[in-house]
Amino acid sequence: MAAVASETVNLVINDVEIAVPKGELIVESVKRLGLEIPIFCYHPRMKPVGMCRMCLVEVGFKQPDGSVRKMPKPQAACTLPAQDNMVIFTDTEMVHRDRKGVLEFLLINHPLDCPICDRGGECPLQNNTLFYGPSTSRFIEVKRHAHKAFPLSKYVTLDLERCIQCGRCVRFTEEISGDSELAFRFRGASMQPSTFELRDFTSKFSGNVIEICPVGALTNREYRFRARPWDLETKPSICLECSNGCATWFDYRVNRLVRVNGRTNEAINEEWTCDRGKFGHEHYNADNRLTVPLIRRGDRLEECDWPTAYAAILSAFGVGGDKVAMLAGSSLSNEGAYLLNRLFHRKFGSANVDYRRTAHTLPPDEAAGNAPTAIADLELKPSILVFGNSPADDIPIIFLRIRKAWFKHGARVVVAHHGETEADSFADVVLRYAPGTDADLAKGLVAARANDAAGVAQAAAACGVDESRIREAAALLGENTAIVTTDSLLNSASGADAFRALRQLGGELNRYALGANDQGFADLGLVPGPDGRGTAAILAGCADGSIESLWLAGADPFAFGDRATVEKALEQVGFVVYQGTHKSEAMGFASVVLPMAEPAEGDGTYVNAERRLQELRAVLSPPGEAKAAWRIGAELALRVGMAKPYFGAKDVAAEIFTQVPAFRGVAFGDRLN
Amino acid sequence: MGEYKLLLEHSHDPAYATLAGYQAKGGYAALKKALGMERQAIIDEVKASGLRGRGGAGFPTWIKWNGIPKDKKGKHYLICNADEGEPGTFKDKQLMETTPFLLIEGMTIAGFATQGDAGYIYIRGEFVDAAKALRKAIDEAYAAGLLGKNILGSGYDFDLYIHLGAGSYECGEESALMSSLMGERGMPRLKFPHVPLPTISGVWDRPTVINNVETYTCAPFIINNGGNWYASLGASTKNSRGTKIFSVSGHVNKPGNYEIEFGTSLMDLLEMAGGMKGGALKACVPGGSSVPIMNAQQCDGAIIGYEEMAEAGSMVGSGGCMFLNEHTCIVTFIWRTAQFYANESCGKCTPCREGTKWLLQIMERIRSGGGRSGDIELLQEVCSQIDGRSFCGLGDAAAWPVAGAIKVFRDEFEYFIEHGRSIVQSAESARMLPESPVVAVS
Amino acid sequence: MSVSLFKDVVKPIATGFGITLKRLSHKKETVFYPEQRREQYPRTRWRHFLTRYESGLERCIGCSLCAGACPARCINVVAAENTDEKRFSPGERYAERYEINMIRCIFCGYCQDACPTGAVVLRKNFELADYKRESFIYTKEMLLESFPGEADAPWVGEYEEVK
Repeated sequence: MAAVASETVNLVINDVEIAVPKGELIVESVKRLGLEIPIFCYHPRMKPVGMCRMCLVEVGFKQPDGSVRKMPKPQAACTLPAQDNMVIFTDTEMVHRDRKGVLEFLLINHPLDCPICDRGGECPLQNNTLFYGPSTSRFIEVKRHAHKAFPLSKYVTLDLERCIQCGRCVRFTEEISGDSELAFRFRGASMQPSTFELRDFTSKFSGNVIEICPVGALTNREYRFRARPWDLETKPSICLECSNGCATWFDYRVNRLVRVNGRTNEAINEEWTCDRGKFGHEHYNADNRLTVPLIRRGDRLEECDWPTAYAAILSAFGVGGDKVAMLAGSSLSNEGAYLLNRLFHRKFGSANVDYRRTAHTLPPDEAAGNAPTAIADLELKPSILVFGNSPADDIPIIFLRIRKAWFKHGARVVVAHHGETEADSFADVVLRYAPGTDADLAKGLVAARANDAAGVAQAAAACGVDESRIREAAALLGENTAIVTTDSLLNSASGADAFRALRQLGGELNRYALGANDQGFADLGLVPGPDGRGTAAILAGCADGSIESLWLAGADPFAFGDRATVEKALEQVGFVVYQGTHKSEAMGFASVVLPMAEPAEGDGTYVNAERRLQELRAVLSPPGEAKAAWRIGAELALRVGMAKPYFGAKDVAAEIFTQVPAFRGVAFGDRLN
Repeated sequence: MGEYKLLLEHSHDPAYATLAGYQAKGGYAALKKALGMERQAIIDEVKASGLRGRGGAGFPTWIKWNGIPKDKKGKHYLICNADEGEPGTFKDKQLMETTPFLLIEGMTIAGFATQGDAGYIYIRGEFVDAAKALRKAIDEAYAAGLLGKNILGSGYDFDLYIHLGAGSYECGEESALMSSLMGERGMPRLKFPHVPLPTISGVWDRPTVINNVETYTCAPFIINNGGNWYASLGASTKNSRGTKIFSVSGHVNKPGNYEIEFGTSLMDLLEMAGGMKGGALKACVPGGSSVPIMNAQQCDGAIIGYEEMAEAGSMVGSGGCMFLNEHTCIVTFIWRTAQFYANESCGKCTPCREGTKWLLQIMERIRSGGGRSGDIELLQEVCSQIDGRSFCGLGDAAAWPVAGAIKVFRDEFEYFIEHGRSIVQSAESARMLPESPVVAVS
Repeated sequence: MSVSLFKDVVKPIATGFGITLKRLSHKKETVFYPEQRREQYPRTRWRHFLTRYESGLERCIGCSLCAGACPARCINVVAAENTDEKRFSPGERYAERYEINMIRCIFCGYCQDACPTGAVVLRKNFELADYKRESFIYTKEMLLESFPGEADAPWVGEYEEVK
């Protein structure tokens, strides 16, 4: 994208004078007047290429005598930066003729199989043809034929006949996701985008090319033939497959999710989605959804009604104190977590609540203030240190920002991880340390910053990284560096030490959460108090019998520890409440099963990795008798006489805003205090 | 007027391709002189010489050289466009094979004038012999201290690299050449006014001079003899100075490269090449396959010069002059040209990618006897939808021959469409037809 | 007020029956439905059919354009993909489910207009009454021709046609 300077220039667009920033692309300038220039290849988030020639306009320059001298050829508005005295014509006979010409060219080899194309109805090629194109074609030769519906990957189907070679997908993988998996093969009329030797398109962001494809060449294999655009209803949602909290559109048909698309939120995901978010929502439609409460009678789980289930739970948890515990799963809403947390603390008198799944934890005073850097601010950091995680796996959308910081703003990136990461491809320095030596490397970096040669040598020997590499990396870091770590660092035995060492490095140290609402739980205080037990202690307590009742609130117990430990705990503990969305293995140990709604099936608020509070309004209705987490919490609270009834998640949220310090005075969409 | 051997003077002499032989004929005097001159003075000499780009467009060379920032803030690059792919043109091949030192010296002078750090000679992939000759010459020049660090003790450093193309015509387009040189797909890049000129931001985003082989090889003569002397050649024309090598081919008795002074008539050039073979002159494509075709009347009296040829209805182009005799079927000739462009379109922009193939498909249909009334108008329309709308010049180059041929030889097209066969029906013409499509276009 | 037997009773009855007697000689307009029925106008639009190609393949490709065009929103199409083993229609896509709610349908024929393959057609069969609301959801099995050309076969069937 052309650099936009602060100075403005005066343009004349179709006889209207307008001042625009110097260097702004004409295709953007005309939007200021409410005009539209048809486009295919241009995408505001990628470098302009001027390939499709759809945006041709006539351009002239005002001469000193007041006349306008037109350039002999029409110019592509998508690549032309605004200059002083420029005169743009978007509505002349020549422009209309050129648009018709380009569309005729695009359509001569297009199969026109719109009725069976998943893009039909929301297709830029259809729209532009309708508005600007010729009504008929003069083409009587044989069209280009190619493989229809080639499965490019598990998620993406490629139909080369429909492709108009705009290069958006190729540029996306080169400029945004950085994996460069797509490229053009062959040339001229045979040119086609493809992966190298038609290998699987394994990008972790492959779903985006489906959305940016201006025709139906790249389509969604999951959505394939599921619906036409006019069958769909769409509501805004947020993705809760990881902690990034991307804005999405939920497209559903007859209360069934059919696809997820990216929604623009400049603060988080711009407009991108990762494949986990775009294709990872099939569990909404799974056959093994829980629809009615179940209660154990003998060795069988039998259907029951909610009051029976509640009564059984309350009598089992009545023992209270240290004998009951709760483990929360990461997609529980703030409201659901808050109410259950309050139930445990106030009614059961128990502080045995936890959500952390990492092997090690930080003490509370060190765990606070996790994410000082907002995702959008990462882009402007002069240097970024990725430490102890693979961002494309842990925090995919933050990975895209890190890459953008490098690609667009020239940030220097250091990647320190024991395995290969996607970020290695653009890192200035890659520090590949021996697994488990996180703290050594972190101390080495600190030593290098302090010019402590002995410290560097010692660290280098311990972690197996070249001394010079550590020095090279440390030289790139400074007070303005954003350090990006995630909770996965705490799975390493020396992770906590590494974290302490990184704190001395200066810059903004971020420990981004991994689970969808893990950050929210931290801010809500869903952690054991001084007299409570943490995850490991809870599991141990279950196993040794000191805990009699365990509540699994939207949690898969096997995520909290190794299999043997968890199995032993579940076998030994007397009473297990499984509050969940799907039938699962843990149900085998459950005494009561509460069917819970998926996040988008109920109202709720969530806090993402950068501590941004986001509201999710129900999109679908829950299956059967399943209830949203806040409703389960509210009904239990009512039963134990704790509070006035809550009429909606909003009431619970209002209470959180007054009761929890971190949430005080925060509006939806803002970051927590 | 007439033949004037400047660049090709010693091209028959194998010794000229060696450093000793080259220096014996006065080689490297110009570089010695240039290294003692002010940089601006060299550019002024080139300006005085009136030298224009020999690759086809005829852009004044000094403007490119002068456009390089004088206050150097990083690397400056030189590129020699030796990706000579225009059908009918083979002058650079001969220059590189027989007079490699002229090119090396010329590039070194240009490099010195523009504070260049390195030069890249982008040679068409098929020109293995030329690359070998240049390789040998460059090695010799390095050994003699004429390239590399501190050339001739002047303190000026200049490196020269050879880069072989991979066989794409499009890479002869200067911005596509830069893409290719940088390891990208050989597709053209944005040009002024969309982005700064290559002299500000060219290859690797650094100031870059890019010229044709023939343009660079002129530099030593301009420095040796002065710009004004060079400008005295071709003084009879409006604005074309010096000499130009024409690669004469087609139905002539002595095809080959002929260097002439601007202002020579086209018929004189034909005379030099031994006159027509096998029949009377019917048409001429004077500047490589992409320029509009001329009929015999237009050729008669046409003067070779950039403006003069434009007046005659065609262009000097890259100097690939094809003379066609009366047995040539123009429709077939244009079909073959269309085939070339459809095959060579890089695919970047819509008009060229789809238009060149459509043109070819229509031409194929006409050639196979399936022409319809209205096809001529359709061809013209398609050409006008490509011309000026494509990303780079290849689209224009594909449209001009078709549109040009329809303008000049419309009757032949009409006849072919109406009768399903060529207007030319001699035994000679049947012998000239290709047996099968030369290039398969999928 | 006195009533005259002739003027007020006999005469009106006689006049009335007189008209009846006179009409007996006219051509009869009524038919013995359902034993007899009329030929309908050529462009009459009643019951939908999903037609087949001569090859027996379904014309419907499950594109939902009919559903999009339907002003009463009474068509529901669920598409699926043909495979070489299970092929219902030519090309990639076929209608796995195709349902028309006949109570909602206003028989405007927009679906027929919108259909890119001429699959859905409205024909002259108007006897659509039924006893249960559920029976008015016409499924794909009900709508689909059992053999190519069934939709265009004479609708009268076993009954006698009135000319």
